[in-house]
Amino acid sequence: MIQLDHVYKTYGTIAGPNVVLNDVCVAFPDRESIGILGRNGAGKSTLLRIISGVEKPDSGRVSLTSRVSWPLGFAGGFSVSLSGEENCRFVARIYGESVDRVVASARDFAELGDYFYMPVRTYSSGMRARLAFGLSMAVDFDVYLVDEVTAVGDKQFQEKCRRAFAARQERSSVIIVSHSLSVIRSYCRRCAVLSHGGLRIFDSVKEASRAYDAGAAA
Amino acid sequence: MSLARGAFIQLQVVHALVLRETRTRFGEHQLGYLWAVLEPLMWVGTFWGLYEVTDHPVPHGMDTLAFLATGVLTYELFAKNVSRISEAINGNKPLLFYPQVQPIDLVWARAALETATLTAVFVIVMGAGAFFRAQMPRVNDVLVVMAGLLMAALLGTSLGLLLCMLGTLSNLVERLRGPLMRPLFWISGLFFTVDAVPAGAQRALLLNPVLHAVELVREGWFSSYESPGASVPYVLYFTLALLTAGLLLERLVRRKIELS
Repeated sequence: MIQLDHVYKTYGTIAGPNVVLNDVCVAFPDRESIGILGRNGAGKSTLLRIISGVEKPDSGRVSLTSRVSWPLGFAGGFSVSLSGEENCRFVARIYGESVDRVVASARDFAELGDYFYMPVRTYSSGMRARLAFGLSMAVDFDVYLVDEVTAVGDKQFQEKCRRAFAARQERSSVIIVSHSLSVIRSYCRRCAVLSHGGLRIFDSVKEASRAYDAGAAA
Repeated sequence: MSLARGAFIQLQVVHALVLRETRTRFGEHQLGYLWAVLEPLMWVGTFWGLYEVTDHPVPHGMDTLAFLATGVLTYELFAKNVSRISEAINGNKPLLFYPQVQPIDLVWARAALETATLTAVFVIVMGAGAFFRAQMPRVNDVLVVMAGLLMAALLGTSLGLLLCMLGTLSNLVERLRGPLMRPLFWISGLFFTVDAVPAGAQRALLLNPVLHAVELVREGWFSSYESPGASVPYVLYFTLALLTAGLLLERLVRRKIELS
């Protein structure tokens, strides 16, 4: 269970304070994947970072009873001077997992060939996304926070991610941020809309997209 | 989350960071981490060579290698902690992407690695020196030597922590660090003992806590030397003041550190 109670987050800008999350109270139940729609700059990535604990809210509480991943995004979190393998070793250690098992599992999932042993600097953005995904799949999370990452890999890899998630639907769920309705629909039944600092969950992707289009979600 | 669980996770993270640091310390250089050991060895070797070639006198008839190594390595233990730790956050920003990795963990990891490395170098140099050179004295009071090294490490860690946190507020800190640290190399007793300078100058020089650490190590090593002013409490007070300021600042800036 992921619960947000009266979460506020504001960023100071030259033009004055920008309220990104304004008194957000929401509960994400276990084993239920949820998509999040929102315009650019609406605060979707901020929301994921706050759920993961990487960023702290200005006020309010985030309580987690499930094991939540780091926000899987555009390859953030990799040290580019280290190889894919070394990055995997580090992540395995900080999550207290078996290093050998995580490395082997990430290597097999990411399918990077010899690049797995070369510095991440030499990777394309698609390859970094593969590594991030393979690595996160190797660590057993209850909830995966996914930030548009599926848009990066090629068709085959996207399909592979979907299958991997489907296979573990019993024990894991995703909270996925995307602009693409079809991506959200393929992972989730329910969907939320983030706009003007408010988050509202709808029972179907259809309702959410209608509210999103109407711009009346707040 | 309980305190014990939190402490366990933090140890796990610091351990992972230390192991990782041994791979990134010198980038993709072929010798990698070995450089961390070779570099201070080269410092000591260079000064030793210069002293021998110029037949430079050494105070109290101390053995040249032992005199230089106690000075240079104690100073390096302090200075390497300062320089590595002050850049701990800027050099590791991508790692803050993982929720359990906190900025302060990056500081502790570098402190642990630099302190362990330079302590090992000290043991290697002094051990090998004593083994191969009959004229080199054996350690006189090992506890005093350890106290001196510990003071150098703690002082370096505390100053590094403070500079690191200040560095998150302004990059001016990193610019000024080099020029401000440089004089310490000359006034911290690497090449003199404090009893050799006039009494008035002694008092001024002993304001510098690094000099205290160096003097402690020399006093502990040589039975022939007793420092006129080296004091463990003085360095400790200095360290506690820096550490308190650094930790308070950490609480203020921890939310402001931006992910890159």
